Amino acid sequence: MTWQTFFDFSTMGHRHLIFVYAGVWLVQLGYLTWIALNWRKSTRN
Amino acid sequence: MARSSVLRNAGWLWLVASIAVLVVGFRQAIFLVPTEATMGNVQRIFYYHLPHAILGLVFPYVNFLASLAFLFWRHRDPLKALTADALAVAAAEVTVLYVGITLATGMLWGKPAWGIWWAWDARLTSELLLWLLYVSYLLVRRFSMSGQTGVLAAVLSIFAAIDVPIVFMSIRWWRTQHPAPVFGEGGSLDPSFYPAVLWNLAGWAMWGILILTFRFALERRRQLNEQEEALRAIEASLEIPK
Repeated sequence: MTWQTFFDFSTMGHRHLIFVYAGVWLVQLGYLTWIALNWRKSTRN
Repeated sequence: MARSSVLRNAGWLWLVASIAVLVVGFRQAIFLVPTEATMGNVQRIFYYHLPHAILGLVFPYVNFLASLAFLFWRHRDPLKALTADALAVAAAEVTVLYVGITLATGMLWGKPAWGIWWAWDARLTSELLLWLLYVSYLLVRRFSMSGQTGVLAAVLSIFAAIDVPIVFMSIRWWRTQHPAPVFGEGGSLDPSFYPAVLWNLAGWAMWGILILTFRFALERRRQLNEQEEALRAIEASLEIPK
């Protein structure tokens, strides 16, 4: 597989492959960012 | 060097190492391992689905052990019990995250592979139940007004942990739409796919440990701030009015 075929949106299978890889990163980074923002907000007394 | 500074540097190093392993895993999964003969490229979803599924059955046990420790220490050593409680809540959130990703990636794979988004078979149903149990655990913690929230949550955690071996064994005990075990003894996975599986498993395990530790530290900070506020309120109430 190449980058070109990875970003091939022509079939459902290819679309779902990209949704999985992009979605997993998005959700995981989103959760890490949420923890980091709360960490910054909650300064140690 | 201060302890907090060493911990912060270790955290950054662990983050960089996790991302490096995940980049290698991505490269293996998308560009290097051969295309599977029957499903084609859509089978590459497997390399993100499997690690999340495996780790989604490991983090519940962190929550379970921390909940047992909380119940054991809550009268003997309340400070240790609070630490265990912080670990339990962190592990429950990471469980919801990993099991949720397993369900979502499984559905995105199921539609092109089976022609359906969902089947009410034993594996999928017990996995959904696991996710719902840990969502309810977090809801109990968030909304319970009983004053015994920690105890209620710890008991719920013990019930939730019972579902984990059922999820694991479901594809061995019952005939399911979900495939039988593909890894290990008797598995149907060709060894040429192993590098992508193992790199991604290692990467998402390292990532999981990172977010679990960070969430635990956040919860500990919240607990300590709450304790200090309570102490200040008691001190203020004891001051003699002029």
